Amino acid sequence: MSDQSATTDVNVNVNDAKQIYIGDVGPGVKKRDPILIADSVTRTFGGNTAVNVEHVEIPRNMITALIGPNGAGKTTFFNLLTGFDKPNSGNWTYDGQKLAGVPAFKVARRGMVRTFQLTKSLALLSVMENMRLGATKQKGENIFRAMLPFLWRDQEKANTAKAMELLGRFKLDTKKDDYAASLSGGQRKLLEMARALMSDPDLVMLDEPMAGVNPALTQSLLGHILGLKDQGMTVLFVEHDMHMVQTIADWVIVMAEGKIVAEGYPSVVMQDQAVIDAYLGAHHDVDLGTLTGQLAVAEDIDPHLVEELREEVSADPELAEELAEEQNRTEQ
Amino acid sequence: MTTRSSPHSHRAVVGAAVALLGGLLLSMAPLSATAAPLTAASAVEAPASASVRSATIDPASATESIGVWVRLDSNKAAVAGVKVTVTGSGGFSSDVVSGADGKVTVGLPGAGDYTVKLDETSVPAGDGVPRAGTNPRTVTVAANSTGVPAYFLLTTATGGSSTSAPGSTTSPGSSSSDASSGPSLFDLLVPRLASGLIFGLLLALACIGVSLIYGTTGLNNFAHGELVTFGGLMGWVLAGPLGLPGPIAVIGALVLGGVMGYVQDLGLWRPLRKKGVALIPLMIVSVGLSLALRYTFQVIFGPGTLVAPNDTSAAVNWGPVHLRSSDLIGAIVCIVLLLLVAFVLLRTRIGKATRAVSDNKALAAASGINVERVIRLVWIGGGALAGIAGALIGYYQTIRWDTGASILLLIFAAVTLGGLGTAFGALVGSIIIGLFIEVSTIWLPANLKFVAALVVLIIILLIRPQGILGKRDRIG
Amino acid sequence: MDFTFIPLAFGQLLSPQTIGFALAALGLAVHFGFGGLLNFGQAGFMSVGGYFFAITAVKFGFPFWLSLVAAIIGAVIFAFILGIPTLRLRADYLSIVTIAAAEIVRYTVQTPQIAPFTGGSDGINGSSAAFDALNPIPPGRYGIAPLLYSASDLWIIICGWGAVLVLGLLVWQLMRSPWGRVIKGIREDEDAVRSLGKNVYAYKMQALILGGVLGALGAVVAIIPTSLQPENFGTQTTFFLFTIILLGGATTVLGPIIGSIIFWVVLSLSDGILSILVTNHIVPLSTVQQGPIRFIIVGVALMLLVIFRPQGILGKKRETYFSV
Repeated sequence: MSDQSATTDVNVNVNDAKQIYIGDVGPGVKKRDPILIADSVTRTFGGNTAVNVEHVEIPRNMITALIGPNGAGKTTFFNLLTGFDKPNSGNWTYDGQKLAGVPAFKVARRGMVRTFQLTKSLALLSVMENMRLGATKQKGENIFRAMLPFLWRDQEKANTAKAMELLGRFKLDTKKDDYAASLSGGQRKLLEMARALMSDPDLVMLDEPMAGVNPALTQSLLGHILGLKDQGMTVLFVEHDMHMVQTIADWVIVMAEGKIVAEGYPSVVMQDQAVIDAYLGAHHDVDLGTLTGQLAVAEDIDPHLVEELREEVSADPELAEELAEEQNRTEQ
Repeated sequence: MTTRSSPHSHRAVVGAAVALLGGLLLSMAPLSATAAPLTAASAVEAPASASVRSATIDPASATESIGVWVRLDSNKAAVAGVKVTVTGSGGFSSDVVSGADGKVTVGLPGAGDYTVKLDETSVPAGDGVPRAGTNPRTVTVAANSTGVPAYFLLTTATGGSSTSAPGSTTSPGSSSSDASSGPSLFDLLVPRLASGLIFGLLLALACIGVSLIYGTTGLNNFAHGELVTFGGLMGWVLAGPLGLPGPIAVIGALVLGGVMGYVQDLGLWRPLRKKGVALIPLMIVSVGLSLALRYTFQVIFGPGTLVAPNDTSAAVNWGPVHLRSSDLIGAIVCIVLLLLVAFVLLRTRIGKATRAVSDNKALAAASGINVERVIRLVWIGGGALAGIAGALIGYYQTIRWDTGASILLLIFAAVTLGGLGTAFGALVGSIIIGLFIEVSTIWLPANLKFVAALVVLIIILLIRPQGILGKRDRIG
Repeated sequence: MDFTFIPLAFGQLLSPQTIGFALAALGLAVHFGFGGLLNFGQAGFMSVGGYFFAITAVKFGFPFWLSLVAAIIGAVIFAFILGIPTLRLRADYLSIVTIAAAEIVRYTVQTPQIAPFTGGSDGINGSSAAFDALNPIPPGRYGIAPLLYSASDLWIIICGWGAVLVLGLLVWQLMRSPWGRVIKGIREDEDAVRSLGKNVYAYKMQALILGGVLGALGAVVAIIPTSLQPENFGTQTTFFLFTIILLGGATTVLGPIIGSIIFWVVLSLSDGILSILVTNHIVPLSTVQQGPIRFIIVGVALMLLVIFRPQGILGKKRETYFSV
């Protein structure tokens, strides 16, 4: 790719007057102010290489979209960065500190929180309890102090107030005493995001924040994500909805077959032939959003079987839809 | 066979294997015909038993009987010519003498408590006396229980001999040794390797059901031991009270085990799957089912040990290894069945479907596999294999109302050891567990042999939680 | 017909056995109901607690309080041994390892070689001496016939229910604290809790230890009036405990306690009724066959509870633990 900055200026989000990258745009391009830097991260399942990222930098206080076709290794990469999976090799630093090999809960404590593709709201806890759980450094979470309520009651009140404020912003305040199980899929997505914000993170990593969210809620979700940036946070998200990527992302990183194949400003990347080939080539007749869940599930099973089924599914859009429905059912 | 063999040749192979299996089982017929039920043994071998009956009740026709077996504690060699007196309520008294195989069966007038006393003066010189606390002893005989065991082990040692474990799994055929001097490690090890291997194979049959059911439905079936017990009890009923030949009894156990698996799936597990009950509650349901079934067996079959009629003389003598023909045939039947299962899983359509369902249910369903049908077949197959395993265990050792429950943990250990949900892992795990528990008795007290196996399970989970053949990514 | 079994059955309301099972069930509720840890070896915790208590009391002559501490330490050690390899693994692994560990304990203590220490298969008698020495109640018979209690019966009943009250309140307080919130969150989805910066492994270990200690204390209460019998800590004991918590409601503090009372009263009543039916030849069963019936009842009850009333007979439908 050559220098595209002349044509990209119009597409750059108006908030970003300054250029994000240094040097020539391309996979693994250096950023002016990176928050997360990853080097030669690999992860193999059986004989298959799921992730093989040579170098990538995530720009601070920007909204970065991670896109790519199914099985590109986006979620696996997410899991590796957040300590939910262990890489075969690789290093990455967050805010200049080494993060590889750090367990997931410590990653979160350092200010890098994530959400999940399949929403993980804690069904039999109330919405408010879900929110309170998100708060960090709680005195009452120590088993001995827990027995003495006077030690943690004030902190609990403060956390509750903060949770109410967040719930209000996400329009969930009226549901605060309901079980999370009673919320709709989209509301659970919102709750999960709000809960993650209870810890005042610096980097928010959202794994398909729009999947399963009804159109009415989509707009407000987009607003919330933009809002995070305004509050000084960095956002990295995996998404399939190109419209959404175009609307809110400042920067797009494209993965295919475990590698970073392209990076750039949204509108530029979308026109890159390599991206179109990698991303849309095999599955241009299938709605990409519906398939992801299936193939994420399939990622760690017998590769031969997966390949067979993938062929079958991609040959038959109706089947793909059925699968998606099945997936939604099992999810709820 | 080529890699892409036609369905036709599949059928041929399965047919051949079935024929081979049938032939093997039939080859048991003459053996067990000569052996006849234990209850009848003394009648057939009347001269050898040379019974001195003060109140003779023909043990062959009696509905209740006690099986006396006198052996040396040191090498389990039979002791003949030992006088034993059985007394009971109502003035019943019967004097008998142990036969050449150390055994004698005493017919009884009815159920109840009997006192069995071994006359220590009649023991051949140098063979010692019964172990402390075992002579005289009271034997509780439930209605319709034949061959209720009253076994005596003679010891010259003054004390400190090991007691048998609860749910004892003594293996009468495998450990007899005629070494009169101190046994070498070789003499100790080889018979145990043989019996461990046989037990491992039996365990493997029982494991396949657990592994496949877990693979296809995610259920850790705690009631699987009861499928094994059921098979063993059915085998005993067919061979003992009904007097059918051994092979028929074993095949009967296979069929009835399959029926039991099918009925369980149809009546309980399928409705619960449809209801969408989650896995952990299902596991607890299986625990409840296990309790209910196990104690129902106890109500019906009594708390005692049941002995399937068998020829107890050693048919094979390889150095220190002495095996009865039934041990050998049982092992071969196991191997044939295991090969058959491997073939079905690897090469047939239904086997591939089973593996596909194990890998990913939704994906398998989407590719046109009838998941419910696969699960039903897995239950039938798993139940049948557990049933025949139970019947063979009945021949190899003895059968009791809780035999299956007592090996359930060994089954789980074997399955976990090999890798949960992988059928071949279950085989490898079973053999390892079988060998391990037998060999460990060289150094460990007998009641710790299960402990050894379970400790291995925990250590394996520490080092390699996915099991020997499991994939690392499966453990979540 | 002899109907004294009816008042005797209601004597189970207060009996040390009921107390012991209530405490152990409370522990299991901490593991399973609140924390989602599928512990199938609670009998092992009870066994370890019982042996640490009885051995230190009888063989070493420890004073009561020290023996009690020993029982707690035993349970903590057992929890570490079990938890370290398994708490990182899936729930079903924990269930298999815990049930295996409980059986290991049961077999091992019966080894003849260590019988001088553990009492072999006969167990240990007389561990209550130090406890009875603290008894302030004057000797005599208390109660109404046929429910008569000796001074030492009364002493253990009072202390036992005191312990249930104190420990029940403790668990109740813990479960409404932020600590309990994390534990319940882990039950729902441990990855989510991990993503919120909580050290899930450490919390699971704490829950395992807490529940295990409750099991050990339950065993102490249960063995004081009788004796320590290794066969009382077989797998069926764990399954009794599961029936108890499912009876009362697994996610409540009161559930296991009420469950234990109902369980033992009903079991005792059914034993009595069955006994009358058998001795009067109303049902075609022998007295030998009568024994296993209670286990069949428990097994069937366990299945029915899980299938039809997983929230317990007292719980509300929406508090059903099995949500999925």
